[in-house]
Amino acid sequence: MDSMNILSIFIQTLVGGIGIGSLYALVALGYSMIYRSMGLVNFAHGSIYMIGTYFGIIWYRGMVMGLQVPYPIAFVIGVLLNAILGLILERIFRPLANLDLMLMLLGTIGLGYVLDNLAVIIWGAEGFAVNSPLPNEPIVIGGVALLPQMLLLITGSALLMVGLNVFLAKAKIGKAMRAAAQDRETASAMGIPVNTTNALVFAIGAGLAAAAGILAAPIVYVNPAMSAAVGLKGFAAFILGGAGSIPGAIVGGLVFGILEAISAGFISSAYTKGIAFVVMILVLMVKPAGIVGEVTVDKV
Amino acid sequence: MKNTFKVILLGVGALVLLVFPLVAPNRYTVHIVNMAGIWILMSLGLNLAMGYCGQINLALGAFWGVGAYTAALLNTRFGSPIWINMPLGMILAGITGALIALPMLKVRSHYLALVTIGLAETINIIMVNEIWLTEGPLGISAIEMPELFGIPIDGAERFFYLVLICVVIGYLVARQIVNHRIGRAFIAIRDDETAARAMGVNVARYQVLANALAGVYCGVAGVLYAHMSTYISPDIFEFKNALFVLTMTMVGGMGSLAGSLVGGLALPLTQEWLRAIKSWQLVGFGLAIMIVVLFMPGGVVGLTQKIEQAGGIRLPWARKQTEGKPVAEEKLEMEGPNVA
Amino acid sequence: MSLEIENLVMRFGGVVAVNDVSLNVKPGMIRGLIGPNGSGKTTIFNVVSGYYKPTSGKVSFDGKVISGLPAHQITALGFARTFQNMRLFKTMTVLDNVLVAMGHHCKTNLWQAMLNPVAVQREDKMLTEKALHLLSLFQIADYARERATSLPYGHQRRVEMARALATDPKIVLFDEPAAGLNEKETEWLSETLLKIRDSGITIFLVEHDMKLVMGICDAVSVLDYGKKIAEGDTKTVSTDPVVIEAYLGKEEDL
Repeated sequence: MDSMNILSIFIQTLVGGIGIGSLYALVALGYSMIYRSMGLVNFAHGSIYMIGTYFGIIWYRGMVMGLQVPYPIAFVIGVLLNAILGLILERIFRPLANLDLMLMLLGTIGLGYVLDNLAVIIWGAEGFAVNSPLPNEPIVIGGVALLPQMLLLITGSALLMVGLNVFLAKAKIGKAMRAAAQDRETASAMGIPVNTTNALVFAIGAGLAAAAGILAAPIVYVNPAMSAAVGLKGFAAFILGGAGSIPGAIVGGLVFGILEAISAGFISSAYTKGIAFVVMILVLMVKPAGIVGEVTVDKV
Repeated sequence: MKNTFKVILLGVGALVLLVFPLVAPNRYTVHIVNMAGIWILMSLGLNLAMGYCGQINLALGAFWGVGAYTAALLNTRFGSPIWINMPLGMILAGITGALIALPMLKVRSHYLALVTIGLAETINIIMVNEIWLTEGPLGISAIEMPELFGIPIDGAERFFYLVLICVVIGYLVARQIVNHRIGRAFIAIRDDETAARAMGVNVARYQVLANALAGVYCGVAGVLYAHMSTYISPDIFEFKNALFVLTMTMVGGMGSLAGSLVGGLALPLTQEWLRAIKSWQLVGFGLAIMIVVLFMPGGVVGLTQKIEQAGGIRLPWARKQTEGKPVAEEKLEMEGPNVA
Repeated sequence: MSLEIENLVMRFGGVVAVNDVSLNVKPGMIRGLIGPNGSGKTTIFNVVSGYYKPTSGKVSFDGKVISGLPAHQITALGFARTFQNMRLFKTMTVLDNVLVAMGHHCKTNLWQAMLNPVAVQREDKMLTEKALHLLSLFQIADYARERATSLPYGHQRRVEMARALATDPKIVLFDEPAAGLNEKETEWLSETLLKIRDSGITIFLVEHDMKLVMGICDAVSVLDYGKKIAEGDTKTVSTDPVVIEAYLGKEEDL
């Protein structure tokens, strides 16, 4: 194998890692936004991601009354439906946000159980592969072969992340969300409707997860069990980046995805998951509050 | 008066347990109860680490697996009997617990939850991939049912007594520990780590000890499981079963050993009872967890204590107060980072 | 057995909380440490008791350097402390709160705990008696089986003091023990502190209640903005113009 070849394989692997990493990042953003605004670590977010994927893909695959819907429309329907689900779930989660971490953990896990098993009842445990709406032949640029769907996933995710940041910075409601995230009591004293903003955060988090899921569906296999697999990695990315940090979630997701891809491609495919976790643990040992997070001094 | 009641209760309980395999409707029922005993052992371990010492630990599946694989490998490769496998399984699982505790000294709250999940996943991946050692995803079969003092423990009915002995010893030992200085130090760390330090409690040492104990309890459960089911594979020791133990402990009552008994018995039995409606059963399960979390955070045991406090009565099985208040009711200080 | 603090500096990021402070606490004395809020008093306590590692400078006790040792080891050397916000073990009874602090008296180990219930029981009985005796000195033995945090505030302060003394200290660091106490309780507190000193235990006291400080301290050090600005007996300090200036700017305590 000449060096050119190794380089192009490396770039291919890297792009694959960035693709899957964007999926993790979008899921991690959901964890992060909800944690920031409600102080809630939502362990059911993986299930919300899985449901969102189904919400879009069932239309695309003609699983609803045999109605075959084009991919972009299925995408929009899925994102909207999941955002509505997010609004409903926020009502259920509201009392959990004030509980101790252990209870929060269990309560959200309980809800995840419910969602996962409802998905099994409705859509079956088997799952399916999804055809890409784009051509399946890789595009070759300078010896690097890239799947069109992968490029769609990466650009789509990038647009969503930029859009989210602009929204949070510019839009009035975005600013209210940031204020509520920083200090709930003050925000609510200043007349910012904290519950409404929380509901919106939930809706956006769920929408992003659905978007990520629908974009990635033609690359990954779709089944109810992916709630745990991707949910765990999204959570890892959220923690790795520094809980509650928006840029942290993105960095964390990408780092995690790239790590996985590189370890699968160059070290050992069997240990992909393991290596990623080991690195994550090492990072946390060195920086206990994640890559972007800052450790607060213990109050004595 | 109260003592007489206790003695009678204990006597009736012991009698019911002793004759249970003889009067059980079928072998399968006994098997389910045996399995509940194994869950109880793990729940006791989790309670020591999480309920008493306040250490979030989601790596139970790994400890359990280490115990089970130790027994399975020793038995299938060297034909070693359960009474040798048991102490070795306990030691190895205990060491695993102590090792997993090391990051805990640095990492906290939800970060810690993730680290323990990550370590458990890593151990599970090793089980799947190191085929030369673990036989890989297909698992290890043909593990022998044990034989003790020349008596073959070859059916669920006989195995029941072995599990019963382990659970009784496990419970009594745990009770001794929580009522000892060690248990007081655990609770002190859970309640207020900073103050515990000032009282001369070596926090790091006790945290490692608590998790090592959790490992040992799961090790016992693992060795029993391997010899009982005669077949193990990596998927049994996945994260979902650690969650199952976490759930039963929370439902029973975190920070109360009785909670482990209640939850460890109630949940597996309920699950079994609802087996016919598999997926709906799991939905109901999830809903049940949410209801417990939202409306009775102390678990079943916490609820009886609330009734007791509200009515000013002391239920016969009430324990002394230290053990009473489950950790879950107090909001932990989240030491998360301040990120703008 | 005196406590020596030499050129102590404690910096958090860019903030200098303690700036080159030296002072000593001689055996058998009550040394007061006063100063406006945020002047670095509690930070000094946190360094001495092992919660912070000093940026520079050292703390020694009995000629042995203790700064940098973990808190539990410093406790084992004969230090005890109380906290501004008490930090009682919230799910424990009063008795258990005290028993935690008596860990060093426990000779039984894990194996005995598991296998020798008789020895543990014997030890427990001995410790409980000791703890109850201590509680009776603070007149709270009647509440021994109550949950500590369910007691009235003043009593919780007593529990905290009893708990600190249960570690068998040579020196106790009291961090604002009078906070939240009424006049009668404060009077009881000052008597108790004197009694503790007379029993041979050295006291290092951070307190805002000037009447209490001036009434019982053998010597007082004054901090302002992390620096020591005055030191001496109560009379010298209370008439020192620098001290009055430091206080007048911020508080009406004096």
